[in-house]
Amino acid sequence: MTRTETPAEERLREQLRPEKPFARFRWTVTILLAAAFAWSALTIDARWDRLAQIPERTWNFLGLLIQDASLGPLVIALEAMWESVAIAWVATLIGVVISFPLIFLASVNVANRWVVLVVRQVLNLFRAIPEIVLAIAFIPFFGLNPVTAAVAMGVSSIGTLGKLSAEIVEGIDRGPMEAVAASGGGWLAKLRWGVLPQAMPEIAAFWLYRFEINIRVSAVLGVLGIGGIGTFLTQAAQRNYYDRIGLGLLVVIVVTMLIDGASARLRRRIINGPPGELDQKREAAARVQISGDET
Amino acid sequence: MQRPADASRRAWPKKPPPTPFAVGGLIGLVVFSLVTSWDWILGIGFNPLALPGEFRDSNPAMVEGLYNVTDAAWRESYVDRLRGAFTDPDSPWVLSLDSRIGRGLVETVQIAVLATIVGSALALPMSIYNTRLGAASSTRLAISKALNNTIRSIPDVIWAVLFVVLVSTGALAGVLALTMFTIAVVVKLTSDIIDGIDMGPVEAARAAGASHAAAMRTAVVPQILPGYASFSLYAFELNLRGAAVLGFVGAGGIGQAMDFYWSRLDFEGVSVVVFVFLVLVIVVERASIAVRKRLV
Amino acid sequence: MITFDKASVTYPGGVRALKDLSLTVGDGEFVVIVGLSGAGKSTMIRAVNGLVPLTSGSVTVNDWSVPELGRRQMRDLRAEVGMIFQAFNLVKRTTVLNNVLMGRLHRVPLWRSLLGAYAAGDRELAMQCLELVEIVEKAYVRASNLSGGQQQRVGIARALAQEPKVILADEPVASLDPPTSHVVMKYLQRINRELGITTLVNLHFLDLARMYADRVIGLREGELVFDGPGSDADESVFEDIYGRSLTADDVLEGQAQL
Repeated sequence: MTRTETPAEERLREQLRPEKPFARFRWTVTILLAAAFAWSALTIDARWDRLAQIPERTWNFLGLLIQDASLGPLVIALEAMWESVAIAWVATLIGVVISFPLIFLASVNVANRWVVLVVRQVLNLFRAIPEIVLAIAFIPFFGLNPVTAAVAMGVSSIGTLGKLSAEIVEGIDRGPMEAVAASGGGWLAKLRWGVLPQAMPEIAAFWLYRFEINIRVSAVLGVLGIGGIGTFLTQAAQRNYYDRIGLGLLVVIVVTMLIDGASARLRRRIINGPPGELDQKREAAARVQISGDET
Repeated sequence: MQRPADASRRAWPKKPPPTPFAVGGLIGLVVFSLVTSWDWILGIGFNPLALPGEFRDSNPAMVEGLYNVTDAAWRESYVDRLRGAFTDPDSPWVLSLDSRIGRGLVETVQIAVLATIVGSALALPMSIYNTRLGAASSTRLAISKALNNTIRSIPDVIWAVLFVVLVSTGALAGVLALTMFTIAVVVKLTSDIIDGIDMGPVEAARAAGASHAAAMRTAVVPQILPGYASFSLYAFELNLRGAAVLGFVGAGGIGQAMDFYWSRLDFEGVSVVVFVFLVLVIVVERASIAVRKRLV
Repeated sequence: MITFDKASVTYPGGVRALKDLSLTVGDGEFVVIVGLSGAGKSTMIRAVNGLVPLTSGSVTVNDWSVPELGRRQMRDLRAEVGMIFQAFNLVKRTTVLNNVLMGRLHRVPLWRSLLGAYAAGDRELAMQCLELVEIVEKAYVRASNLSGGQQQRVGIARALAQEPKVILADEPVASLDPPTSHVVMKYLQRINRELGITTLVNLHFLDLARMYADRVIGLREGELVFDGPGSDADESVFEDIYGRSLTADDVLEGQAQL
């Protein structure tokens, strides 16, 4: 590779080699991030030295968990978790029922542009407000109970479900809609036969996904004392009931993972349709992929 | 066009019955909805028809504290408190964040910044390991998936409860809780896009004798960088929202101010904090969305 | 020296891509492998650097017995064998220089590659490789902004950056138009002649094969059906390799006329 160059060649080379350009964007981002990190880490009122205690405290905590372990509160923990799941389901239901008609008013390819603009803004507003704020706002009206949580999360779900489903509708193929219009179908016929069959599986899958998220949110809203596993765990932590903390954590992890797994399967089934050809093709593709792998 | 005779009509295929999946799904949906919303031991007692009635029977003290916008005196004291939250008490035009709300707000931002940066940094290698390509062995993939699913199944507040037990109350517990939450969000989204990258460069790196880690760094990371950056920003938005709740379990942030007024039944105070927090969330979300649009 | 001894590859699906292949390629040879798609050309090339493991038989590259190599030794072998791909396999979102530096990864300490902080010597070598394929002025341009021919030259530079003893090229011109194909083939030929690097190229255009090859190897259904100098590979030989009469698709110039 290294052969002797004539001076002329060397000059030519120096001319052709570009200067390394200054990566302005990269430097700006790096410096901004470093500055934000340094400012936060240095001025935050956090006891960093306590990080060192974590191993020891974890050990003690585990010890207390085992020492206090009892299955007594298991039923209460499961009931609390069930309440969280029920809140999440009702909230998703509220979101689905109200967002469904709004989806079509929020999609530019089916609705009037001005209607879309207004509906989108409303949906964005619902989405932008954190669930905890909505819950606090609703407590005076519905009280400190699970219904308040469900309504607050329901409003939030209307926002997310509406916006993301509208994006799905906007991504569909125009062909079938034109076909319905060409055969003299009205606006509703166009929705029913031109839009829904294409968009529905993804929208339905999205409903399930929102349900998974809502389970977590309902646990979070529990800190306000409006029920569910969140309330159970915060109360247990305040009173140092270690057995309850341990059981509560276990129940959250296991139940959430079970529901996530089931929901993911359902979503895959809804989007891919009944098992058949498609799966076989995909398996074949996966096999090729594996054989190309090294390890 | 001639209509087909009756004989040929009988030969038409029958409409197939709905699949068991569809029937089961529909029944399950209805039953589950009824069970969860009914007012009995398994349901939460959600009755949409009763909501307007409950609305009328609302708690007047709370409503007055939170919303009494029509009352001029309320408005005045509200604005006073709002201004007081951000200005020096001695000279009201000097910006100062040395109030309960101001400090809570700053701490919320700090918690979100730290958790996002630390969590995202950890999430990059973790999301590579969370794919068949990166794990490079089915055992490691299974371990990684189990770990990430566990992290993902615990909501941020529950993490906060756990860390308050481990490092006592304070912002540190909040930072740690949201770090875990960031990892959960970013790993999930990023490992999904790794499945769709161009495998060519990975093959090239392997053919050049690169180690596995070097191949991942040079052939995979550049391809996922825009998506990863966008997801990290998204996690920052979520962290800001999440940081409001942390205070209720003693993990720092503006939620502590909310909890403070809440426990003293000072609903006007709660309302001011919520308002300030809402403005912050919406401003940051707008900015973040603008940046994310340019990234992808 | 590369030696195949009764080398066979059977894919998990049951397809036998290579059947008892035995041949030797001497140092500094320029060998073109021809055959229909699915004849085992890619498999044969990938057996040399272990990207495709043999199911039986052996491949020896210089002193390495490929099927017996451990992970670490496999990397050392691959460091000596540069590879060029049909789809270029560049990281499109990063610069040309970073792509060429991927060829140095076997020598670069891990921390340097993780931080992207390559040593000056590695950068210098990468630049020299880019000069060799006359594209150094694009060093800091994103790979995605290059034309196909330019991308393949970067691919060649990446292989050269390994300072390899052998270069494997898997259909290097299949994604390129005829004039660009000749440019790329000429670079490969020049590298072979000037640097003495043993070069194995897969092609399916017989005129290109005849024009550039010192030696042509014909594969049909995984078996060796021809092995001789490029000048001996006339149309009847190709018809024998392909197992059918030739069509316009089999020659590059035929493509050009379409």
